[in-house]
Amino acid sequence: MTIAATATIAPKRRRRLDLNASLVVGLVLTLGFLAVAVVSFVWLPSNPNIPVIKNRMLPPFLPDHWLGTDGLGRDIIAQLMVGARTSILVGAGGASIALFLGTITGLVAAAYGKLADETISRGADIMLSIPGMVTALVLAATMGSGALTTILALSAFFTPSFTRVIRAAAMSVLQEDFITSARLYGRGKLFILARHVIPNIGGVMIVQFTLYFAAGILTEAGLSYLGVGVTRPSISWGMMLNEAQQTVGISSPLAIWPGLAIVFVVLGLNLLGDGLRDVLDPKLKQRRA
Amino acid sequence: MTPPLSPGAPAIEVKDLVVTNGDVTAVRGVSFSIPAGGRMGLVGESGSGKSMTALALMGLLPMGWHTHGEVLHDGADLAKLSDKALSSRRGRTLSMVFQDPLSSLNPVRRVGDQISWVIRHHTGADRKTAEAQTLELLRSMNLPRPENLVRAYPHEISGGQRQRIMIAMALACYPQLIIADEPTTALDVTVQKQVLRLLNSAVAERNSALLMITHDLPIIAAMCDTVAVMYAGRIVEMGPVQEVFRHPRHHYTRGLLDSQPTMDNIALDGSSRLVSIPGMVPPLHDLPSGCAFNLRCPAATDKCRTDMPELGGETSLKSACWHPIARADEVAAQ
Amino acid sequence: MAIYVLRKLAFFLGAVFVASLAIFLLIRAAGGNVAAIVLGKDATAEAINALAHTYGLDRPLPIQYFDWLLNMLHGDLGQSFRTKELVADLVTDRLSISIPLALAGLILGLIIAIPVGTIAARNIGRPSGAFLALVSQIGIAVPVFWAGILLSVLFGVRLGWLPTGGWIDWSESWVGAIRSLVLPVLSLGLIMAAVLIRYVRSAVLDVMNQDYVRTARAVGMTRTQALLNVGLRNAALPIVTIVGLQIAELIGGTVIIEMVFSLPGLSRMILANVAAREVIVVQSTVMLIIVFVIFVNFAVDLLYGILDPRIRNAA
Repeated sequence: MTIAATATIAPKRRRRLDLNASLVVGLVLTLGFLAVAVVSFVWLPSNPNIPVIKNRMLPPFLPDHWLGTDGLGRDIIAQLMVGARTSILVGAGGASIALFLGTITGLVAAAYGKLADETISRGADIMLSIPGMVTALVLAATMGSGALTTILALSAFFTPSFTRVIRAAAMSVLQEDFITSARLYGRGKLFILARHVIPNIGGVMIVQFTLYFAAGILTEAGLSYLGVGVTRPSISWGMMLNEAQQTVGISSPLAIWPGLAIVFVVLGLNLLGDGLRDVLDPKLKQRRA
Repeated sequence: MTPPLSPGAPAIEVKDLVVTNGDVTAVRGVSFSIPAGGRMGLVGESGSGKSMTALALMGLLPMGWHTHGEVLHDGADLAKLSDKALSSRRGRTLSMVFQDPLSSLNPVRRVGDQISWVIRHHTGADRKTAEAQTLELLRSMNLPRPENLVRAYPHEISGGQRQRIMIAMALACYPQLIIADEPTTALDVTVQKQVLRLLNSAVAERNSALLMITHDLPIIAAMCDTVAVMYAGRIVEMGPVQEVFRHPRHHYTRGLLDSQPTMDNIALDGSSRLVSIPGMVPPLHDLPSGCAFNLRCPAATDKCRTDMPELGGETSLKSACWHPIARADEVAAQ
Repeated sequence: MAIYVLRKLAFFLGAVFVASLAIFLLIRAAGGNVAAIVLGKDATAEAINALAHTYGLDRPLPIQYFDWLLNMLHGDLGQSFRTKELVADLVTDRLSISIPLALAGLILGLIIAIPVGTIAARNIGRPSGAFLALVSQIGIAVPVFWAGILLSVLFGVRLGWLPTGGWIDWSESWVGAIRSLVLPVLSLGLIMAAVLIRYVRSAVLDVMNQDYVRTARAVGMTRTQALLNVGLRNAALPIVTIVGLQIAELIGGTVIIEMVFSLPGLSRMILANVAAREVIVVQSTVMLIIVFVIFVNFAVDLLYGILDPRIRNAA
């Protein structure tokens, strides 16, 4: 090949593929999960809460109960579907509140002077040192278990992390030149935050929300497993695993399905979050070996 | 210590070097040769591909970038060697000094240890011997109190001292060729001269060849025998320093020379107004067809927009231009 | 270094103080009428008031708070209402389970994560690197208690090699105690490893992209030598920090694993005492855990200061 020809090779498109795999797989899994939850409001194979003793511990792959039944004869698939609702409610609920509170505190820390920044940042650091599971246990056990308590516990648990992330993102946006010109124009702080900063950190907010949604689902499962999360008649995958553990000497499949559900959903959300992050922050793609 | 080159063999010979990552081609066919002990300057603005050329010679390109062409050095084609084979030459026959000495030195190890490592690795000397040689090396570079200097961490010493440490690391094993990529750009002006003087004498002592990469023309004038001017990934002019700087044939070189703010020996045409080359360097993924400089060249014609000129010329000065600037005495002779 | 240490010490003390306040308020505010609950539904008003008075529960909150705080500083963690046992004694028993579990889990996690994370970083862009990244992604999606259940089903029920739960105390049999801990430590360690692998990989990648690694190669190190001699030493800094940040997660994981395997550790004690409204016990125990975590973070900061000469040699 002559040099001239080499120099005019058309650019190849191969690099776009790998950054989208995470996003695509994550999106598919997440949408599937959401779809299942939505469908559960309209249709269920059978009632997930009413015991049907004659059907207890049926193995999977039967016509009426594709994944079998639990120790009280309740259909597994129905329980999984309703459990999806809980995961979304609690996970998204906790993440949303944390996002809201974290954004406010993060923006205040970034834009309202050193004292505010120091106070908020130190406060967030201290809260991050407190093991969330322990506080969630205490909270749930003193205020009573249930979805609401769990959502509150998760919000408290996640807010400091959001605060740090939003603060960092907002600070880097505030360094940009267009902010200086906006200030020179006499724009007020609130205006700059609303019109310039928030749109620019929107990507960060979405990515973090997705990742904490996933974390919320995991934590809720743990709390429900321990008995301090949601209880019957609400259904949670963690709770299902607790019940399954009691029958584990007899039949193991019960211990597998809810766990798999958790893994797929959390994996899907994490992949989605990472995929979104890659798309929204292409600078990170430059890597030397 | 590396054995002396067989007489006549160049320190390095580059043929048709192409550096690309599949989407963008940063170096589009570069050829040059540096004789043993010779000194060549590589000039160009950012985006011209000069740093990528240096990294390609060393085999230190960022991930995803590949080299095509030949790089003949120390009896081998470096472009075809594995990383392992290359690493036995790096620091020994071929070394490099980078631009920012603070980020280029290991922050958690003492600078003396970093130099002695190089000596131990390539000569097999034991720790004590290497440490003694390190002290000797620093003394020979006229660095004050080397016993204290070797125990320092990079953040504890000044920028000038750091760069001198880097030069020491690069020259410890008497390489055949040392590549200096903007070695003084990150330093204070007052320190730059000292560091360059040190580089100059250390290179001369060892009879190493030098490839000096910079955008600063007076440095090249002072230190180099030949110079190559790069634009958009290609060499557009190359030849003896005095020739190129006094009688450039390529319009880009002319433009570079004219836009130098202060030059005592170089601008001989008497003009003292600051001029700049109109337009901007084109991005490497969006180059014009034909000669890459045609959008900004005062002498561009249709031919320049379609056909790529190659380096040529009857004298020792080669330039890649369809309408090279004529020398006054050439015109007279015709 | 001195200023750095003082700063971190100040933060440590401040954090402990703020956390103690938060815990105190949380437990008291959400706890309801403690004396009433302890005595049960049929208690008379006088009995309730008498009990409240005995334990100083009728004093103003700030006084109760400072009293508690000062007592803790003297090592008096209070006592249970019902059994009168000293909290200090209750806790020490449990610690002999919780601490080995947490420590071993963390060490196992690090032993796995550091090499695997480094290999993943070294192989970025190649199939093996992508595979490891995927494995790590799946690992973090696995709930720690599910891992515990699966392992106990496999090794306990199916294969019968190890107990599926329960605890044989150290004083009875060393071997028994260790056998009781194997599956819990394995579950905890694997999940910790999955979490840590991502961070190790990221830290190593960041370091490998630094200019000084390029210099290391420029003077003759191969990629692998540069990774091991220069990369890891520098990546130790962020990795140490990450371990500090993960301590809170480690505690959370330990709590759950203790429940999965019915180990009589701290978590069971806390849950039981919370249900029984033993506010003093819960307060002191939770505070102990929090102080531990904050202290570990302080120790991590100190370690970081020692490892990084830029901090160590500063004023």
